[in-house]
Amino acid sequence: MEAKPSTANLVDKIVVPGDVVLDLSSMTNQTIKLGGGLRQECDSVSVIKAGKLRFSKPNKYWVESSQKRYVPCVEDTVLGIVVDCKADNFFVDIRGPTIAFLPVLAFEGGTRRNIPKFEIGSLLYVRVVKANPGMNPELSCTDASGKAAEFGLLKDGYMFETSTGLSRMLLSSPTCPVLEELGKQLSFEIAVGLNGRVWVNAESPSTVVLVSNAIMNSESLSAVQQKIMVDKLLQRIK
Amino acid sequence: MEFVSPEGLRLDGRRPTEMRQLRAEIGNVAKADGSAVFEMGNTKVIAAVYGPREVQNKSQQMSDQALVRCEYSMANFSTGDRMRKPKGDRRSTEISLVIRQTMEACILTHLMPRSQIDIFVQVLQADGGTRSACINAATLALQDAGIPMRDIVTSCSAGYLNSTPLLDLNYVEDSAGGPDVTVGLRLLSCGTYGYTLGPMD
Repeated sequence: MEAKPSTANLVDKIVVPGDVVLDLSSMTNQTIKLGGGLRQECDSVSVIKAGKLRFSKPNKYWVESSQKRYVPCVEDTVLGIVVDCKADNFFVDIRGPTIAFLPVLAFEGGTRRNIPKFEIGSLLYVRVVKANPGMNPELSCTDASGKAAEFGLLKDGYMFETSTGLSRMLLSSPTCPVLEELGKQLSFEIAVGLNGRVWVNAESPSTVVLVSNAIMNSESLSAVQQKIMVDKLLQRIK
Repeated sequence: MEFVSPEGLRLDGRRPTEMRQLRAEIGNVAKADGSAVFEMGNTKVIAAVYGPREVQNKSQQMSDQALVRCEYSMANFSTGDRMRKPKGDRRSTEISLVIRQTMEACILTHLMPRSQIDIFVQVLQADGGTRSACINAATLALQDAGIPMRDIVTSCSAGYLNSTPLLDLNYVEDSAGGPDVTVGLRLLSCGTYGYTLGPMD
C-alpha cells in the first residue's frame, strides 16, 4: 500500500487506524505538533484511533473521537464517584482504566483536623492533577492556586453517563445550541465532566428529566436540528 | 456434488470471486466500552470489548503492556441443530487463541501498561466463515472502544472446489471436504502483512 502523498485530503475527514496522514520525508525543517490519536512511525505519521482529523494553524494535528471510555489527562475536570475511603486518600471512580486517588488534604484549607467525610457513592466534581499511563491518576478538589472554585461534592440532582465527545461539545464555547435553547426557557444548573458524566439539577424533577433527555439526544444532531428537538420537547410540558 | 455450475455460478448464485453481502453496526451493547455486529451473508457475529480496565488476576498483570484476553463462543441456536456445549471445546479454544493473537499484534499494548482488554465474540448465526466474521467484528468493536491500534485487520476465507478457487465460503461449501484457508490482513500500513489461520476446519 502506498502512503498517501497529499495530506490536505484527510483534514476534517473521518480516518481509521492505519491511515497515513503526513509523509515526513517530504517536509524538512518543520516542527509539527501531534495531538491525540496520531503516532509517528519513522517517516510517516499514522492514525491510531478512528475519528475526524483536525488541523489548527500553524502546525497542530489531532484526531477528534468520541468514546465511552475516558483516558485521564492532566488539568481535566471530571465527575467522580467515591468508592472507598482510606487513611490518606479517597478512592474515586472516574471511568478510566484504573481507580483514581483523591488525597484527603486536597481541599481548600484542608488540614488533618478537618478532613471531609464523603459517603460511598457520593458524586464529586474534581480536577485531574497527575495522569501517567500504568499508574492510578491523582485528583484534587482545588484549582491550581489552591482555591475551592466550585470543586467538591454535588448534592441532589441527577447524573447520567454519555460519551466523551458529547461532554466536549457541551463545554465548547460559544455555548452549545442545546444548552442555549434550554437556557432561554428553563433554569437549571449542570456540571459536565470530561469523562462523559453530566450532572443536572433544577427545582422540579420534570425540568431535570427534560434537560437530561435533551442532552442525551443531542449528540449526533447539527445545531439547527438541536434547536428543533429542544423546541419539540419544551412544547410537551406547556 | 456440483458446487460450481458449468456457467460459473455457485450454489447461491455467486461468482467464484464474489463475496456475500456485508453488513456492520457498532455500539449495540450498551454496557460494553465498544461493540459491533458483523454479518457476512447469513453468518452473524456480535463482538463486545471491555477495557482497558484493572487486571482481575493480578498474577497475569504485565508492567509494560496491556493484557489482551479473548473469548469465542457460539450461541446454542447458531447452527442448524441446537448445540450442547457452546464454549470450552477445542475448536472454540483454538479460535479464541487465534483471534487474540491477531488483535494483540495490532493493539498498541505498550500505551496501556498494567491493564486488561477483554474481547468477547459470540456467533449468533453460523453459515460458514465465522472465524473471519469474528475478526472483522472484533476490529470494529475495538475501534468503537477507542483503543489505540496500528491498523485495521480484515479477514476472509477461501477454498478450492470443482477445480475453481472460491472466495468467502458458506457452510455447504465449507463442509464439502475441500481445502480452505482463512486469511487475516492488515489493511492500510505500508507493506501488506498477512498471516493465514488454521487450514482445516
